[in-house]
Amino acid sequence: MWAYIARRAIQALFTLLIITVLCFILTRLSADPLAQYATNPNMSTADKEALRERLGLNQPLPVQYFKWLGLAIQGDLGNSFFSKQPVSLMISQRLPNTLKLMFTYEIITILVSLVLGIISAVRQYSLLDNVITTFSFIGFSMPIFFIALGAMLIFAVKFKEWGFPYLPTGADIWDQKDPLEYIKHMILPVSCLVIIGTAGYARFIRTSILEVLGQDYVRTARAKGLSNRMVLYKHALRNAALPLVTIIGLDIPGLLGGALVTESVYAWPGMGRLFWEYAQRGDFPVVLGILLIISSAVVIFTIITDVVYTFVDPRIRLS
Amino acid sequence: MKKNLYILLSLIVLASMALSACGGGVVATEAPAGPAATEAPVEATEAPMAEPKSATGAWSQEPDNIVPYYTQMSYAIWIAQLTLVGLAEWDDQGSFVPELAAEIPSAANGGVSADGLTITWKLKEGLKWSDGEALTSADVKFTFDQVMDPANAPLSRTGYDKIASVETPDDLTVVITFSELYPGWQTLFTQGPNNAGSILPAHVLAGKTALESDPFIHQPTVASGPFVITDWVAGDHMVLARNDNFYGSRPILDTVNIKFVPTPETALAALQTGDVDWYPDFSESDIETVNALEPAVHLKVVPGADFEHYFFNLGTTAGVDGKGAADQDGFCPFKDVNVRKAITLGINRQAFVDSLLAGKTTVPVSQWPNSEWENKSLTPATYDPDGAAALLEEAGYALGDDGIRHGDCNGEDTKLSFTFDTTDKQLRVDIALAVQSDLAKIGVEFKPNHSPAGTFFAGYTDGGIMPTGNYDMAGYTTGFYPDPMPGAIDSFSCDTVPNAEKPAGANNYLVCDPKLDELMAAGNATADPATRKVAIDELQKYIYDNYYVVMMYARANVYGYVDRFVPGSFGFFSNMNWNAEVWDVK
Repeated sequence: MWAYIARRAIQALFTLLIITVLCFILTRLSADPLAQYATNPNMSTADKEALRERLGLNQPLPVQYFKWLGLAIQGDLGNSFFSKQPVSLMISQRLPNTLKLMFTYEIITILVSLVLGIISAVRQYSLLDNVITTFSFIGFSMPIFFIALGAMLIFAVKFKEWGFPYLPTGADIWDQKDPLEYIKHMILPVSCLVIIGTAGYARFIRTSILEVLGQDYVRTARAKGLSNRMVLYKHALRNAALPLVTIIGLDIPGLLGGALVTESVYAWPGMGRLFWEYAQRGDFPVVLGILLIISSAVVIFTIITDVVYTFVDPRIRLS
Repeated sequence: MKKNLYILLSLIVLASMALSACGGGVVATEAPAGPAATEAPVEATEAPMAEPKSATGAWSQEPDNIVPYYTQMSYAIWIAQLTLVGLAEWDDQGSFVPELAAEIPSAANGGVSADGLTITWKLKEGLKWSDGEALTSADVKFTFDQVMDPANAPLSRTGYDKIASVETPDDLTVVITFSELYPGWQTLFTQGPNNAGSILPAHVLAGKTALESDPFIHQPTVASGPFVITDWVAGDHMVLARNDNFYGSRPILDTVNIKFVPTPETALAALQTGDVDWYPDFSESDIETVNALEPAVHLKVVPGADFEHYFFNLGTTAGVDGKGAADQDGFCPFKDVNVRKAITLGINRQAFVDSLLAGKTTVPVSQWPNSEWENKSLTPATYDPDGAAALLEEAGYALGDDGIRHGDCNGEDTKLSFTFDTTDKQLRVDIALAVQSDLAKIGVEFKPNHSPAGTFFAGYTDGGIMPTGNYDMAGYTTGFYPDPMPGAIDSFSCDTVPNAEKPAGANNYLVCDPKLDELMAAGNATADPATRKVAIDELQKYIYDNYYVVMMYARANVYGYVDRFVPGSFGFFSNMNWNAEVWDVK
């Protein structure tokens, strides 16, 4: 297994290298870091030229990339063009907020999806199944900004207007060290993310369980006289969980990137907002720093997922 | 089956209980609407000796840092207005008024020498930093030294590089001697909308280099403005406490919180729930939405000196007299002033102002709208589609079978069909569609193309469409203030047409007209405002007569604030932060 992991790790390095090249090219071509100064009357032509030179933006793209890569290999993600702060510091300020938000969302989503997916599969074509399926499709097809703004309008603005207890918009100043305040401010953003996330996961689990329930060994288990509960939890669910492991494994690194829309709507100081704000300004040290972390997480979690597979599926052996 | 149903019901009950518990927590801890809802956590632990006054504003972006020499971000300038002030600023009427200075230098008070090369500033007596240290002329000299120090990397040294010396004969006097006439001296060491000349604390920063990466620019320890930053949680909010050593009247609020709220929809909801007290970042398209929330939320629209304008690619690869050569020739018909005039007359600008901008702003006549420099003798050309069509006929462009005019331009049959580039901001998209409709009526095909701002404003070396001349018409917002000339010169001069030799040139119109250069030079040839006004009036008339740009509408600053919040007056140049010491809450 260790040889397998080592081999995958070496492959991952090359993958990461390619990802950084692509991301660098895309970032540099999509926005000019000095574009925001284009119409600033206080910056003369000479000022702009001097700034371009100081930031190294007058150098050929390959030179810019390799300079960045040289530092990144040494663990230095560079400084932001605009805030002048180390990128690693900026990420470290935002990452904990994103992790708290996204992992809460992921855990709740998995639990809720499991319950809904199982019910939906076991009660296939029942009224309950139809209701869950309908709401899943609605949740799946609604844009997150609509859900987020709608929830804010109802549970913050209208509830206050109607004299009900209401939830914060996220735009207030609150004590982030107070756990109750934290929970209170997470309810709306997490709920919105869960609505979207659950819709997809629940459908997936339903399909997966239905497929397993139609297998010969399930029929055999039933023929042996096992109860429905035993068949479902002992045989069907464990096998149906296999593809779920893959999906969760691949989703987890994505959580590091935060949720751009939800973070923006609820003024959550996370990675999604950091990425978006600096990507718009073409601040490639920040953008590449974030992408490098997410990409690394993706490759690492892909390897972990493969390894976990060997434990949950005895048919798979690493060689 | 029943067991499964039981499990499901149990889970639902458990989930409901959990949510209720969370909700219950919300109810139990939720502060009532009003002052307490906006109090900073810091205050919650303070002894309630007196009722502290606190207000919370929401800004759509977080400042890069608080020393604007190292950033040109508006939000950095705003926070500097609250914490690190300059010698003078512009008030709500656009008048230049003293801050740390005792008076504005003038020829009458001996502050401006006869040749205009020496400016003498007198500081107020007894100035102090928030930590109690004296704020003296040495701090001004220190600031100049820091800006010019090669070890530091300010974004701009414009104007400062024309200073030959800064002398401090005593603690209250600063004598600035220029190496050449610099009519824009008022923009140096002062707080303005496009310039923020904060005076830096020598006693804190002396001996340091590379200030752009010094912790002070993110976590300043002292202030000279009405407030001092006490906490800055990255990406989330800032807390500012009253500076008891502020030079002016004692700030009324004990605490000001600034929350970073990226979406105006959230800010609007937060104003309605009382989570925030004001939001200064609404756009003109939000005017009607905010106005509908009266009386709970008040709307304030302040027409500014920025303007949205459309312009023609006037580039020529040949240049003029060996100067101002662009990479590409502009759209041939635009070289004819009658075509430019027809397009201007064919766009119903007043209709956009009335419908899309709720009539809260105006169609500007020149590049200095709402400013003392504006040439009041000019009037905006009115919408005249018939006149526009006649002009195009006269210029030789007849209507084709497809409804689009065409005619001879430099020996080639040319259709009046061209692209228009701008950003993808929704208001710009809406207005471009309306312009398209207007121009179609006079037989002109106007094809809008919207890009993200980072792409649209890309520089020459990044292949930006404007500096490389890869456009026909384009549009965006700019403004030439508080000093009228530097921005204009950069935008209209032959010397600043971008090309391979001058990639950072800011003349996006790509126009090279020696007469324009001459008029701009005249506007910059004296430090006497009255003489400058005459020259700048003439410059405006020349641009107006030649229809070099289509002035669309004067940009407005749109604020929303709740009833409990009592702002000061809203500055014409200096937004609402210029007199934060008078902010109050009911």
